[in-house]
Amino acid sequence: MKTSNRARRLLLLGAGLLPLALASSDHRVRAADDAATAAEPAQSIRLSPSQYKQSIADIFGGHIAIAGRFEPEERTEGLLAIGARQVSVSSTGVERYDDLARGVAAQVVDKDHRDTLLPCKPKAENAADEACARDFITAIGELMYRRPMSSAEVESKVKASSEAANTLHNFYAGQAAILSDMLISPKFLFRYRVLEPDPNHPGQQRLDAYSKASALSFFLWNSTPDKMLLKAAETGEINTKEGLKRQVDRMVSSPRVEGAVRAFFADMLGFSEFETVAKDPQFFPRYTLTVKDQSQEQTLRTVVDHLIARQGDYRDLFTTPHTFLTSSLAPIYGVPLIDKTDNGQPEHWMPYSFQPGDPRAGILAQASFVALHSPAGRTSPTGRGKALRENILCQAVPPPPGNVDFKFVQDTSNPVYKTTRDRLTAHRSEAMCAGCHKITDPIGLALENFDSAGGYRTTENGVQIDTSGELSGVKFDGPAGLAKVLHDDPAVTSCVAKKAFAFGAGQLPAANDAEWVGIQKKFTDSHYNFVELLRQIALSDLLYKLPPSKVAAAAGQSVQ
Amino acid sequence: MNLRKYLGLSAASLAFAIPLSVSSVARAETHGYVISWFATATYNLDRKASCPENRNGGRTENYHRQLTQIGYTEAEADEIMKTQGGTLEAKYETRVATRGSVNGKPAIIYNYPESVADPNIETVVGKIAYGFDLGVKNDKMKFEDPDTHQKIDNQLWRAVGCTHSFDTNPPDRPYFEDLTWHLMIDSAPAWSVMLTGDDLSKDGKVTITMDLLTQHLKRDAAGNVLTGATYVIDSGPRSHNVLQGEIKNGVLSITPKDIYLEGEMPFYAEIAMHDTHMRINMKSPDGTLSGYWGGFLDWQRYAYMYTARPVNGQDVVGMWHALKKFADADPDPKTGQNRMISATWRMEAVPAFLATEEGKLVASPVPVSTAPQPEKVAAAPTN
Repeated sequence: MKTSNRARRLLLLGAGLLPLALASSDHRVRAADDAATAAEPAQSIRLSPSQYKQSIADIFGGHIAIAGRFEPEERTEGLLAIGARQVSVSSTGVERYDDLARGVAAQVVDKDHRDTLLPCKPKAENAADEACARDFITAIGELMYRRPMSSAEVESKVKASSEAANTLHNFYAGQAAILSDMLISPKFLFRYRVLEPDPNHPGQQRLDAYSKASALSFFLWNSTPDKMLLKAAETGEINTKEGLKRQVDRMVSSPRVEGAVRAFFADMLGFSEFETVAKDPQFFPRYTLTVKDQSQEQTLRTVVDHLIARQGDYRDLFTTPHTFLTSSLAPIYGVPLIDKTDNGQPEHWMPYSFQPGDPRAGILAQASFVALHSPAGRTSPTGRGKALRENILCQAVPPPPGNVDFKFVQDTSNPVYKTTRDRLTAHRSEAMCAGCHKITDPIGLALENFDSAGGYRTTENGVQIDTSGELSGVKFDGPAGLAKVLHDDPAVTSCVAKKAFAFGAGQLPAANDAEWVGIQKKFTDSHYNFVELLRQIALSDLLYKLPPSKVAAAAGQSVQ
Repeated sequence: MNLRKYLGLSAASLAFAIPLSVSSVARAETHGYVISWFATATYNLDRKASCPENRNGGRTENYHRQLTQIGYTEAEADEIMKTQGGTLEAKYETRVATRGSVNGKPAIIYNYPESVADPNIETVVGKIAYGFDLGVKNDKMKFEDPDTHQKIDNQLWRAVGCTHSFDTNPPDRPYFEDLTWHLMIDSAPAWSVMLTGDDLSKDGKVTITMDLLTQHLKRDAAGNVLTGATYVIDSGPRSHNVLQGEIKNGVLSITPKDIYLEGEMPFYAEIAMHDTHMRINMKSPDGTLSGYWGGFLDWQRYAYMYTARPVNGQDVVGMWHALKKFADADPDPKTGQNRMISATWRMEAVPAFLATEEGKLVASPVPVSTAPQPEKVAAAPTN
């Protein structure tokens, strides 16, 4: 396929970054690898940074530090998970992945880890040991490539690692070299969806069992399949209704489902955009880098606690008073947090509940939302309203025209237009602006009690802030009023269902598909239990279907 | 006056004061603060009047002077300094540092400042300095406070005010204490101030409680001390201080009393002041406190902070001798040498939540708007 071939070409270019001892054999390794790939995948999906990290943690342990930057992600239709289908690896990305790979490999074979992470000890540390290398590569290969390696693949890796070990006079250096190579392989960096003939529907194709296992694992765990899931793929259990249910039930009851819930909400809420968020310290001194990082964690902890620990109604995420704070975050919210951590020790995360009636209820009142969607020195009801429409309600907001005049909006010291509402009202007097701002501003203005950094305020330039608004014909006042209206808006639940599906499938569901309608009904019947939603999606055929165009292309047919 | 004796009594008596102060919180309004800056009070608006000779100089002049003290001529010292790039290379530095003599053996001047002769650094002859009237019977030596215009006692300023690092005016900070403050506050436990009164926005009686905290200060995004954070008060009695005071026209003063707060080197090893007076402005729009403490210090303990090591730009031996000369209280019964010196510190404090080690919240920040108002500023970023 186009994407994976491009990635491979780039990775071949990147082979020059490998140790010289390995470089000489690299083309032979690649040739053997390519020959071992039986079927061309119908779709390739690049691992997200969180999937990369979680996979490494699950394969080698959480103590392996992953330091370095990843290739930028692509947000498509509101989700990075959809964009992951469309990205390859740039030449700079190859270097980044190579740096990451070397760092991981060096740790896996270092003296602190080799005894636990390698299944054997070499006969001598200063030379190759093919038997031990074979055991190591076979053990990690299945988890890294998410399928058993062919004997040709294993032997080519064993040969390469032996060459490296003998050249470097160090068995472990040889294993590190081959592990680095595997970590920058497209087979690790990309999830492939490989098709096979469907025996139950002659003439049709389906995902092969290992692709299905990967789809399931990255959907429910945001990570590589474990050995039990790979075994279910090997035996074909995963292709039976009962077998799939056994695996899905096992996986949704595992603590690892938290990884998927975190990854999904970080994606849905646009947390990758935090990379460019900055606040002017002169005006928002409480918004430190620690706060910026911890505000995301606060929301994810709130989500995990509510949806998994409490098995709560998804809609209540917008009204829940329960959250978690640190002593760095608490000042943003103007509340005390008594953390008796010893001096100099890392801060504790502590549960915190806002008082009834506090405008801070719900995740949209948290700094992760209001600060993310505000410029450095002022609020942006338009930005907040747009994010709310797109991320929470799945409603499109057109981009502004190219010649838009921001003179009113950005003039925060205008003596006439003292509040943001005043300025936006003036801005909307321009006809070309009015249409879109009607969509975004009434809900964004409801959050004006929260400044650009998430602090609470009641006045702006000495004028009382008006936080009244309207959504879907329902009028409300203030952040708590907005939260209540959102709670009761059916678009909120249908949106999260669509996005959760897309997080796993890499595409949005067809609105009128009967199976999809059934999944949504079960979500409703479960009182909007998010884990149950994940379970129903995982059990459906929809998660494992490819778009017709992909199926046709894989079969070598032309698509009309 | 015997500060150590006083401190022993204070620790014992304050152990009983803790429950009293906490119980009073329930009946009255209590605002919490953490001390966000603390240092020798400086006044240099008329530096020429204060130090007309201007002969102490800075780092280069100090090194030059020290070279002459180890035997180089003025011309030789000039030549050496031309090659030093503003500092002093190790072979000279070592000789400078070990030029003292004790019992005929070389001694490090930072450990034995009296092992070398008093270099007679220039001291303050001006009339103005911050401080309080501490009752010292020597009208010729008194300064006039620039805020109250009262005659005040502050011989510490007279001793050190003409040295280079003190050539600042509030809110600028004296160099060395600013440096060591920033070295300290990210690791050393902080200090709290708690004000309790019926209505702290009005004039009236106030109880001031000061303690050591269990945690160090938190910084904000600009590197200043974070406002509105929560800290836990160390339950130990040694650094627990309860003072009685009064607010008049937004200025807090206290009934003079001894204060002790445990510190940490390289900043103050202790904040130990006898007969402490205070004048704290409570009117700032962001709820911060700022003002002055004045009283008597053990001059040797103060001097140790400066003289125990080479400090760029300061003749630390000269400072030792000056402090000793101007010490104006608590004469040693045997030698007659005064052991205390009148002094004034500037302090600032930012609002904070305070809690006990048992997890009980005992003070909240002064209720000003916690939200910044950047919209008021024309230059606010608009991206």
